[in-house]
Amino acid sequence: MSDSGEHAPVPKVALAGHPNVGKTTLFNQLTGESRKVGNYPGVTVERTSATLYTPHGHQLELVDLPGSYSLSPNSPDEVVTRDVLLGDLKGESPPDLVICVVDAASLERHLYFVLQVMDAGFPVVLALNQVDRAEDKGLRINHQVLADELGIPVVACQATTGRGIVQLKQTLRFPFPPPTPRRWKGPGAVESGILKLADHLEEAGIARPTAHAVHLLADTSYRIDPQAHLPVGAQVEAREIASTCIAKSQPPEDAISQARFLSIRRTVRAAVTETRTESETFSDKLDRYALHRVWGWFILGGVMFLVFWSIFSFASIPMDLIEKAFGALAAGVGLLLPEGDLRGLITDGMIQGVGSVVIFLPQILLLFLFIGLLEGCGYMARAAFLMDKIMSRAGLTGKSFLPLLSGYACAIPGVMSTRTINSAKERLLTILILPWMSCSARLPVYLLLIPLLVTGSFAQTMMMSLMYFLGTGTALLAAWLLGKRIGRTEPAPQFLLELPPYRVPDFGYVGRHIMGRALAFLKKAGTIILGIVILLWALGSYPKAPEGEDQLSYSVVGRLGNLIEPLVRPLGWDGRLGAAMLTSFAAREVFNGSMAVSFAIGDGEGDNATVRQRIRQRIAGARKPDGSPLYPPLTIFSLLVFYIYALQCLPTTVVVKSETRSWRWALGQLAGMSLFAYLAALLVFQVGRLFGL
Amino acid sequence: MSSRLTDDLKRDSALNLDQAAVGCSFQVKALEGPACRQLREIGFCEEMRIRKIADGRTLLCAVCGTRLALSRDLARQVRVTPC
Repeated sequence: MSDSGEHAPVPKVALAGHPNVGKTTLFNQLTGESRKVGNYPGVTVERTSATLYTPHGHQLELVDLPGSYSLSPNSPDEVVTRDVLLGDLKGESPPDLVICVVDAASLERHLYFVLQVMDAGFPVVLALNQVDRAEDKGLRINHQVLADELGIPVVACQATTGRGIVQLKQTLRFPFPPPTPRRWKGPGAVESGILKLADHLEEAGIARPTAHAVHLLADTSYRIDPQAHLPVGAQVEAREIASTCIAKSQPPEDAISQARFLSIRRTVRAAVTETRTESETFSDKLDRYALHRVWGWFILGGVMFLVFWSIFSFASIPMDLIEKAFGALAAGVGLLLPEGDLRGLITDGMIQGVGSVVIFLPQILLLFLFIGLLEGCGYMARAAFLMDKIMSRAGLTGKSFLPLLSGYACAIPGVMSTRTINSAKERLLTILILPWMSCSARLPVYLLLIPLLVTGSFAQTMMMSLMYFLGTGTALLAAWLLGKRIGRTEPAPQFLLELPPYRVPDFGYVGRHIMGRALAFLKKAGTIILGIVILLWALGSYPKAPEGEDQLSYSVVGRLGNLIEPLVRPLGWDGRLGAAMLTSFAAREVFNGSMAVSFAIGDGEGDNATVRQRIRQRIAGARKPDGSPLYPPLTIFSLLVFYIYALQCLPTTVVVKSETRSWRWALGQLAGMSLFAYLAALLVFQVGRLFGL
Repeated sequence: MSSRLTDDLKRDSALNLDQAAVGCSFQVKALEGPACRQLREIGFCEEMRIRKIADGRTLLCAVCGTRLALSRDLARQVRVTPC
């Protein structure tokens, strides 16, 4: 065929549909990739694409679009879908064919979007996903009738099991069929308006004139908000036509949506038969407890406690192994190398520094595992439903719960997933408070310091919960206070969320996702953190102190510590903690490496204790000249409080900038949070001292 | 004119979704308010049969094979009649 010629562009196929309908699972099945999948609306917030080969060997580009309920966007991720489908996105050609993915079990709800895509003038293939669930619910869908009624090919599939994937690929035969004509007819005034507007747009050289004309009349904000790619005259004319229609009591939005719904009802009546009335499904039964006003909270509390408790207890086995491995490595290298700076650099600097961070890998992965499982099984949406009651008191809604919870793993995906929030005000507030959700980079610091305050796994879990609670509580309070100042004129955000049925999570996918996170973490430990610990070791070892003087206080780190000491003294810290805090602005985990390096330099002899225990022993055993502990519990607590609140992560600041499109918010957040962290630690130490702690 | 009057009467017999009783089935009659387009597109379109499952600050409804959670303010914009 001529289409496979060298210069012909690769045909583009887009996957579109409601959020959480299984587009990404289908995308992965079709292309063999492993993108992030979740059982929560809004997992895909950007377009992603990959290459796909049809059974005939043709190459296609498959684009996965963010889930959208309609082409009239309600949130930033839906704008992407509309712009791609109307061909308005700069630097992105419109697709040549669209696969509309719909949930067979709620076909009627999904067809509105399908009609909108067909109206946009594309050849459409309907992927009837989750047919198994529809059959379980007693819905019989006649595919042939459905295809005839809609005028497009219909393929039944079950993306999770791979059923129907081959048939779907076979429908992507090139050349693609021409677009199907519109399935509905509006009242006279609207129809003549569409014709007139389309003529005008065609003269102005706009591609897909009819699609744009229909959309200009169907969506009020599309004809009022400035649209860079449309001539101003077209919007003015659309407004005039709309007022003519309104004068004839045929408001175009209502008339068009009614005409579409009428056509949908006709289609559904012809193609779908209910073999039995809707009965309570397994999901409904579970929800009776999960969403119960009393039991629901017990379950949510239990799940959260279990997550944090297992992070503390289950992880100890692999952690001990990693620790032993690093200890053996340091001892082995120590035997091989002669005493001197090189040995110091490798054992005290590199191995101990990196080891003190890598040790926390199991705990971080457990956190990602639990978030992945909760998202995959569908519980996350229930948690959002329950949390809406609390969030609404802070001026947010349950929709900001998932981004905030993802923030416990890492602030960056959390900030990016705020794109599913429809209210601009709520979205900004969520981004601003998100770094106060204690992310996994803080875990190593908490885990190093908490055992210095309390012993026993229950007390430690409770202390850990307090860390998360302080961060989250302050964040919600801040949202409430900021909400009164930012966008006062905007209406309060409203909660509207689909609760997907419970599913068994895709373990293979969750496993791959966790592996990805593990590699990313190890890469960070092997590059940035290794670089910084080497630098820190050098700064702590040079210049060499003359005989009889303390090496650490003579070194660059010691001098830097002295320099910063007046600033951190009111927090109860000494120069060493101050220097470690400064270095962790590069990455929070560096604090551990920094402490390991700086304390190992104090006395170089190796003992049998593990890295963690050694740092802790050194911290607990450090004494002032008068014999009192250098780091009393109050100092440790003030340090912990600082780490809860400080925004020590430059990538987050960069992502906040790109999401809010403003350096002002990003830098304001960085400065505000750092200042707040300082003041909070100051308050803790000073008030604690007043009480004689 | 007379059809207008019947429409008005029909609307009067309808109630807002936030006042509707839990556990009962309803049919959506009309949408009135700033969020009506969004509600219509997610599934609360005219003539759709829905069941209210839970009440409170956030409501829960079964709509066409799925469950939708919505705030009270949004529920106030959905006019329903029992069926």
